[in-house]
Amino acid sequence: MMAPNLRKRIWQHKIFYLFMLPGIVWFFIFSYVPLFGIQVAFRDYTFSGGFTGSPWAGLKYFQQFFDYYKSAEIIRNTIIISFMKLAVGFLMPIILAILLNEVRSLKFKKTVQTLSYLPHFVSWIVVVTLMQRLLTPYGGPVNDLLGVFGVQPIQFLYNTSWFYQVILGSDIWKNIGWNSIIYMAAIAGVDQQLYEAAKIDGANRFRQIWHVTLPGVRNIAIILFILSIGSLMSAGYEQLLLLNGPATAGIGSVLDVHVITSGISEGRLSYAAAVGLFQSIIGLILILTVNRIARKVSDVSLF
Amino acid sequence: MKRKVSIFNLINYCVLALVGFSMIYPFIYILAYSLNDGKDSMLGALYFLPRKFTWDNYAQVFDNARIWQAYKITLMRTILGTFLHVVLCSLLAYALSKKSLPGRSFFAFYIFLPTIFSAGFIPYFITLQKLHLINSFWVYVIPMLFNFMHVVIIRTFLQGIPAELEESARIDGYGDFQIFLRIILPLSGPVLATISLFIGVAHWNDWFTGAYYVSDKNLIPVQTLLQQMLSQAEALSSSMARSAQQGGQTISASAQGSTPESLRMALLVVTVFPILCIYPFLQRYFVKGVMIGSVKG
Repeated sequence: MMAPNLRKRIWQHKIFYLFMLPGIVWFFIFSYVPLFGIQVAFRDYTFSGGFTGSPWAGLKYFQQFFDYYKSAEIIRNTIIISFMKLAVGFLMPIILAILLNEVRSLKFKKTVQTLSYLPHFVSWIVVVTLMQRLLTPYGGPVNDLLGVFGVQPIQFLYNTSWFYQVILGSDIWKNIGWNSIIYMAAIAGVDQQLYEAAKIDGANRFRQIWHVTLPGVRNIAIILFILSIGSLMSAGYEQLLLLNGPATAGIGSVLDVHVITSGISEGRLSYAAAVGLFQSIIGLILILTVNRIARKVSDVSLF
Repeated sequence: MKRKVSIFNLINYCVLALVGFSMIYPFIYILAYSLNDGKDSMLGALYFLPRKFTWDNYAQVFDNARIWQAYKITLMRTILGTFLHVVLCSLLAYALSKKSLPGRSFFAFYIFLPTIFSAGFIPYFITLQKLHLINSFWVYVIPMLFNFMHVVIIRTFLQGIPAELEESARIDGYGDFQIFLRIILPLSGPVLATISLFIGVAHWNDWFTGAYYVSDKNLIPVQTLLQQMLSQAEALSSSMARSAQQGGQTISASAQGSTPESLRMALLVVTVFPILCIYPFLQRYFVKGVMIGSVKG
């Protein structure tokens, strides 16, 4: 039996439970029901059977994925692309924040900041459309600029030799400004007296950055690093759905896109669910491992 | 020492100016392209300003029934989706900000747990299917009603509102709902503006839902329309540009009119423009929102 005290408190708060009700129902339907539905990866899914009525299939679909002659390639591509994005995409915002912090003119700083947030607010469709226009070898401004330096027009998009550069470049362009916000905030929180002290000790600009600014962003950088490790098995499906074509499939096919095309476009739902589950589990293991390492090495961790 | 610092400054200003320029230039370029005569643009060498100025591309974009329909869908989902999202998330956040609420930490954990381990696309897709949301307008609105991060951001903000305000309102005879409506909501302007921007942009920019969960042509938003034009455009523009460059010099002087590419650029400007107008004014709010979001996450 509940203590009458608690029952009274619950009754007093009845209106707040009412406020929460839509949220509780929504999270149940859109987060917990799909979690429960993971079992389709182990079943031969049929529409009439649903999550629980379809016949069991064991590990058949996992087997199918690992037997697929391209599965190793897909896993490799996913890791290469997301690792590149992690290495470069993680450092770039920190560098931008540090450079911006060294600017004395407030107006200039504000302008660059505002401009750098801009690409975050447009969709990947817009980004890719812009790239098609700007990078086209047929009279596009980028190739015209390169032409001034005597470079022959380059087919940048859907071309294996430029694929990684295009993926990485567009990812940085879209996210660098937005991701630097948090570092700007961390730097703003650094005690100004530390800079004064460093100056008195004779530290120049670079040493001030190294000894004062960088330690100031260390904790937040570690946390964001752990978070991005968790998504190492997903390479960014929106970007890759749009930027990967038949010509670059050998180095551009990744897990997320494979799940979407085999599942939603081709209707092989159980197979795609198995691939997706494999991806989620590896992601979870990675994030737990890195979190543990970070806690041991640096005392900073997510949970 | 003094000289070295100024060299550092010089390089730094140059690099940052280049970064800023690279962020805005693509938009300047498509603006010029969309305001230039379509056939003339194919000759290339168009960089900052239109050469043969015309409103023609925009006139045609606004004349196209399919584009109007898509724009209407985008507007409807953005307005409805943003409004419902902000109202429902702030109700949930308000309840979760009550320290005295029995079971508060349980419910906070309940909405947090799915962010650690997601079920993936397919179980989610099947859920949408079973709810008959596939190929319905509501697939744009209902699955985006809540977002864990947004709830956390609002809750953190609400916890900063002094409790005395609520107490004095209670003494004045306000009920819980009245307090929410008359005290909490009016004070939450900045955080609600931030969340509206986040979710509004997400709605405005979402092309994936339209492309994979909807097949009815009349239900497709602008972004999905742009996506459908992507693959066709690449082939079309390169073949046209080639012919324009080969035999174009003689024809080009007289050739006028829109091309699929110039129409696409006009559509792109129409799609991007509303966001570009709004976000600089909300900057100081969303910067705070991002900070709360990543610190609490």
